[in-house]
Amino acid sequence: MTQLEALAKPREDYAFAFLDPFAKRELRRRMLKAIAIPGYQVPYASRELPIARGWGTGGLQVTLSLVGPDSIIKVIDQGADDSVNAANLRRFITRMSGAETTTDTLAATILQSRHRIPEEVMGEGQTLVLQVPDPEPLRAVQSDSSATHQMHADADYGQLWLVLYEQLVRYKQYLQGASYPSLVNKRYVISPSPIPRWDTPKLHQAAHLTLLSAGREKRLYAVPPYTDVYPLEFDDVPFQVEDQRGWEDRVTRVLNKFMNELPQADGSSQYEISDSGYAQKLTAHLRGETASIGATYYDDEGNFYKDGYLKPPVRPD
Amino acid sequence: MYVAAKGGENAIQESEKLFHALKGKPSREMITAIQESLPYLVDRVMGEASLYAPELAALAIAQSGGDLYEAVLLLRAYRSTQPRLAYAEPVTPHRLFTIRRISASFKDIPGGQVLGPSLDYSHRILNVDILDGVVTPQPADQPVGEKMVSLTSLPDIDTNGASTPEKLASATYPYVAEWQRTAGLMKPIPHYEPRNAADIPDVTRDPALFPAPREHRLQALARADTGGVLALGYASMRGYGLIHPTVNELRLAHAEIEVKHPLTGETFSAGRARVSQAEVVTTGDKTGLTLGFAATLGWNEVKLIAAATLDLEMNQAEPHPAHTEEFVLYHTEPVESSGFCIHFKLPHYVTFASSLDNLRKVIATFYSNGNDEENAAELAPMTQRTP
Repeated sequence: MTQLEALAKPREDYAFAFLDPFAKRELRRRMLKAIAIPGYQVPYASRELPIARGWGTGGLQVTLSLVGPDSIIKVIDQGADDSVNAANLRRFITRMSGAETTTDTLAATILQSRHRIPEEVMGEGQTLVLQVPDPEPLRAVQSDSSATHQMHADADYGQLWLVLYEQLVRYKQYLQGASYPSLVNKRYVISPSPIPRWDTPKLHQAAHLTLLSAGREKRLYAVPPYTDVYPLEFDDVPFQVEDQRGWEDRVTRVLNKFMNELPQADGSSQYEISDSGYAQKLTAHLRGETASIGATYYDDEGNFYKDGYLKPPVRPD
Repeated sequence: MYVAAKGGENAIQESEKLFHALKGKPSREMITAIQESLPYLVDRVMGEASLYAPELAALAIAQSGGDLYEAVLLLRAYRSTQPRLAYAEPVTPHRLFTIRRISASFKDIPGGQVLGPSLDYSHRILNVDILDGVVTPQPADQPVGEKMVSLTSLPDIDTNGASTPEKLASATYPYVAEWQRTAGLMKPIPHYEPRNAADIPDVTRDPALFPAPREHRLQALARADTGGVLALGYASMRGYGLIHPTVNELRLAHAEIEVKHPLTGETFSAGRARVSQAEVVTTGDKTGLTLGFAATLGWNEVKLIAAATLDLEMNQAEPHPAHTEEFVLYHTEPVESSGFCIHFKLPHYVTFASSLDNLRKVIATFYSNGNDEENAAELAPMTQRTP
């Protein structure tokens, strides 16, 4: 007599990459829509994952519905591969999909990140998945999401310009920190996750695809390859990245990469490169080991790789 | 397979180990004990997780060391991967096996007030004798009516929902609202065409948009955070609301979950679930009584009275900002609110650095005593090639 067990499929506790096929299909469709309408926030159902909500579940759902057995995954948090939350997400992705992981930006096929875009220029075929806490650039001026929905439909961004204007009047400079509101494809203003202003220009005419996903707020949006992204700025007062001139990496002595400031007991500060994967390669190179270091968005003098995109600052009077 | 292993990875594994080492080790007996002795806790977790699985809920409570938000997340994450095998038949009020049912609207109601199990009129005195191992007779030790009633199991009821004679007095009760509708005090229930169950909007499978479909609102309230719903509901009751709620009817019941057999089409019971529901009414709208409704898996009275009150508030033309539908539904989501709150433990030094950069510029512009040259240096071009 045939054992019932022999007829049954072996027990599988979870689907490949955790999400069930229906969830993956929904996410892929929403992603396609997001790519077709650059910068538009596409609502999606957003499944609960075995990771706390608000800890990257939006990015994780996108990654899980893109990952295949041949994918190579890099996960960073604040630029660091070894950050505890990055380690945890990477552990989960690889446990559920068997995908390989890397700390090398150039080697990754999918790069999931919280708050940073790496220093090395990402290329065609690579996907950057940014975790987003709040997808709504209008939140500060309008907390009701039904109202912001309408404002996006009307391209009604006057209040954002007003905020910038008020900052100039009061403080003589823009005071948006990270997540600087930016116009995508001349149509939708996005909140580019809270990446520092240093990283915002990297989205402009990028060769790679950027997907931004907020799991808790259930919205995802995209910056497709080779799409215009411009930070909001008045013609006579240009947008500025963070001023880190003179900040020198304490190990490699490199300048003009985004730095972590490390307070010292004597009241001074030391600095280290925020992008840990890049720093690792630089260190290896200094030790005389072979390391394939890619081109960076900012060169050693701090020049951005797209000539003329960033303008010199205007001195506030 | 190469896995990037770093210090952080070891740290989180050790941290998790330490957490589990500092609490009791879950065992089969512990799960059973939680399930049997803490049914209201289990119910709260099941309700907020929107998954009726007392055993798994007890496991979640044990595994999380009693951190309820963690327990709810454990169940939700499990639930989100489970396939939809079938849709149950609607649980209609007349088929509920009601254990407790009270109304504050009238002294007596058709079918009578049924106090059922409740601590409402207990003296809240700690029974410290238990700590000394002294066994003194407690009210709970007295037989209930003829027989002891177990929370976790129910006497058999026949398919019409009527109890067998020796069991609890009566299985089903008419609705107070039915009397009010008959008396012309309340609008009749609108007629709905029967729908395919799979077509009913599902807040766990659809994107959230506002105004939300009625189904989304009731589902969101059913799985809302008890404390969150209470806080917003209490704000309404205390004076930020536009209505005074009267508890028209509050019910604790067992529901027979009936499913149609996929082949024979015959209806069969897939089990019973504890459910509760509350209806509150207001006379604020002078055209008739208006009704607020909430229901959830498990027995959770405080949540439902608050939720039903919020249901009424959300229907107001211009509710208080904290009682709009979007505000209530977003901010009473237990997994999302707790998750976001604790995410602030994550490093934020990149965004902090970005804000600090602005702060330093403002200080340099307005508050530094430096001369103009220093200020000029501060503002010299950086990182950009001039066009």
